[in-house]
Amino acid sequence: MIAAAQGVRADAANDAGSRVVRIALIGISLLFLTLILIVPVIAVLGHAFADGLDVYLAAITSPETLSAVRLTLTTAAIVVPINTVFGVAAAWAIAKFDFRGKHLLVTLIDLPFSVSPVIAGLVFVLLFGAQGRLGPWLDAHDISIVFAFPGIVLATLLVTFPYVARELIPVMQMQGREAEEAAISLGANGWTTFFRVTLPSIRWALLYGIILCNARAMGEFGAVAVVSGHIRGLTTTMPLHVEILYNEYDLTGAFAVASLLMLLALLTMIAKTTIEHYGLTRRRRLPHIPRGPKRNDPGISA
Amino acid sequence: MSISLEQVSKHYGGSVAISDVSVEIADGELFVLLGPSGSGKSTLLRAIAGLTPIDRGRIVLHGRDVTHVSAREREVGFVFQNYALFRHMTVAENIEFALRARGVGAAARRARVNELLELVSLQGLGKRLPSELSGGQQQRVAVARALAHEPRVLLLDEPFGALDAKIRDELRRAIRDIQRTVGITTILVTHDQEEAFTMADRIGVMDRGRLQETDEPRVLYTRPRTRFAATFLGAANLLLGRIEGGGVRVGNTVFDTNPSERGGPPRHGEVTVLIRPEDIVLGRSELSAASAGELGYGTVRQIEFVGVLERVRLHVEPNEWLTSALAPGARFTIEATRNSRDAETTKLEVGQRVRIGAKHVHVLPTPISSLRLVGASEPDVERLASSSLVRELATRMHIAPVRHLSSSGIPPEALGGLAVVPFDRAGGFDGIARLLDEGARQVLGIADGHRRIERLVIYIQPTRAAREAALAAAGTLLRHLAVEGTLLVPAADRTVRGTSYRDLLDIRHAALRAHGVDVRTETFRGDVADAIGKRIHPSAPTLLLLGVSSPSSCYGLIEELGPRLAPRPPAATLIVRGNADADRDANTISYLRSASVLG
Repeated sequence: MIAAAQGVRADAANDAGSRVVRIALIGISLLFLTLILIVPVIAVLGHAFADGLDVYLAAITSPETLSAVRLTLTTAAIVVPINTVFGVAAAWAIAKFDFRGKHLLVTLIDLPFSVSPVIAGLVFVLLFGAQGRLGPWLDAHDISIVFAFPGIVLATLLVTFPYVARELIPVMQMQGREAEEAAISLGANGWTTFFRVTLPSIRWALLYGIILCNARAMGEFGAVAVVSGHIRGLTTTMPLHVEILYNEYDLTGAFAVASLLMLLALLTMIAKTTIEHYGLTRRRRLPHIPRGPKRNDPGISA
Repeated sequence: MSISLEQVSKHYGGSVAISDVSVEIADGELFVLLGPSGSGKSTLLRAIAGLTPIDRGRIVLHGRDVTHVSAREREVGFVFQNYALFRHMTVAENIEFALRARGVGAAARRARVNELLELVSLQGLGKRLPSELSGGQQQRVAVARALAHEPRVLLLDEPFGALDAKIRDELRRAIRDIQRTVGITTILVTHDQEEAFTMADRIGVMDRGRLQETDEPRVLYTRPRTRFAATFLGAANLLLGRIEGGGVRVGNTVFDTNPSERGGPPRHGEVTVLIRPEDIVLGRSELSAASAGELGYGTVRQIEFVGVLERVRLHVEPNEWLTSALAPGARFTIEATRNSRDAETTKLEVGQRVRIGAKHVHVLPTPISSLRLVGASEPDVERLASSSLVRELATRMHIAPVRHLSSSGIPPEALGGLAVVPFDRAGGFDGIARLLDEGARQVLGIADGHRRIERLVIYIQPTRAAREAALAAAGTLLRHLAVEGTLLVPAADRTVRGTSYRDLLDIRHAALRAHGVDVRTETFRGDVADAIGKRIHPSAPTLLLLGVSSPSSCYGLIEELGPRLAPRPPAATLIVRGNADADRDANTISYLRSASVLG
């Protein structure tokens, strides 16, 4: 009894101790978030609306801004589907087959995570630029890649291609090959197996990968900055446009476009949370569905 | 035949997963592949389904060669260990998947789904998701799904592994019933011998990628042909016996051996004897069963009460006539099980000395009953013991090698099992010849003990006696060593003492039927020594098996081969001498003709 009572007292002491720790930790996180995230957001919005709503509307409806928005959305619209297809194919190959060079492929997929985006952009300039290896040939055939739309798409493709694959690989590896093998032994062909068996089982991971890929495609600065050439109204994406406006001391304009980007990010986050929520409640309803890795895998959003 | 496998082999990298498996499974049969994990049984099942490609061999389903047909077109039903149900589809959608893939109309699909749900007793659960069912129910869905497209072959991979004991029992009966109702040829893979016994029409015992033995459960249990089957299917007391006057002597009794037993004709000398625990009879002074023969005495070490039975373990001091086949000459344990009535009438206590008898003994037809290392000195014997081949045989066959010194003459018991001697490079086959002279039936000379044997090359003198003994030895070696066997046969146009292509086929057939182990055959023209020499590469350590009919013919072959192989001798050479009487024994010849009972 005495031992038990002591145990209870010790637990109570622990509880008190852990409460202090908990409050301290939450406090530090909140303070940090406020400084790093919330204050800047407020600052952006403050500057954007500093000269009133009319100036803000004028800034975001200027032809150059609209062109930047169009370019960003078009780039994302091209890059995201391509990287989705690539990501699914790569994840499929890595998770379901054994082949020579598999580890090399995994490493290569991770490469854009570890290489600075500026370098990724430079690679294309060096390859396709006027002084580049393919430059003269492209020039002769009147094809412009660098400092043009194709260059922006290529650079964005390179930077964002790991997102879908990285999200799918652990899920597909965990699921193994048995469901597909079952489908094939039941007489299904490759397409049926993919669309009716594989795709439904990876849909959440796939959607999440697509969202991440999309967010990065719209927000990419470094790689795109190197290849774009900063031709106003032609090859400036939204992040680049923000920089140009800022450098020209058009603070209101810069922050107005920045707020647009933030809006896009917000939409992405809302989409992500909705999907996550839907996925989670669905899984809760079906307790036997094998648990996938946490949706917020830090290795993926790194 | 519903399913016919011919010399199916599969390698993963350097390791063998399936090795020359040949088997035929009849229409409507439930065939169980039984073996420890890693024995290749699941790989074999996947190969039949087309999910794992094979390196060599042929797979024939209902007369159609499907070796190169994709899994999609093989028309088999496969049930996975973890069910592999489509989690996002309902039970009904799962079951009709194969029908949808074949473009069957909605009404027909619905009818079939209902029919199958009824078959597996899951009526009314069609709209559930798999995750809303219990494990046993999920497995029933998996079976129904595999049967939907009316395949002619059903393959089940450890279907009850993930279920608890009671449900497993119930599901076993259910699947057995379903299989009988549908009449579908079925292969079931399991590592559980009880499961194999309760479900199988026939069991194929697998180990190390080889199909060790195939037969009906009862026959496999009571009259196994291999040490592996004897010990894997239930508890076994393996003892050494000696053939004496038409019977086999174990302990103080000469037991009858039924000559028609499929163990083959009684051989001479030392044999391995199986006594199941329930055939052991114990008594304080007299044996409780009058029909039992006395083996000797032992001391009770342990008594376990297991419900209807009592399990007794006894320690026995070995003597000349009573010794274990696992570790000859060492103190050993005999296990006995008694029913409660026997346990009641003859109460035993730990530490008590009791009389041990046996109601019945079974002689294993395997030729290698013990490993006898014979050397002139201790270091010689030690070298033999540490050689890779002896160690491999000892671990795989669970035999502790016995050491003998030949300095003061060869001890007679050394001639009983497989005698192992150093292969003296200078003296060539002399060491082997000396033991054959003394009366040894099989002598293994080891030239290179360091490297693992990778290949077995077999040459057999064309007489029936030689063939009988050598094939039996080859079967045992192939079952226990991870080697590829090649049987050298002279080509037909140079008929050597009556051997022809017909004989070649007969030999293969005989080897296969008698030992469940397949060998590759290669024909050669011209000189035997040349042919053998060509197949001994220093890169792949080779065991050469020579089957000879009598000691005299053996010397002829040794003289012919000795000088030719001397520069590059095989890593090990095994000479197996046939029973010279066998050629004159009409019974034996008819045994060989029927090719079913080679000893």
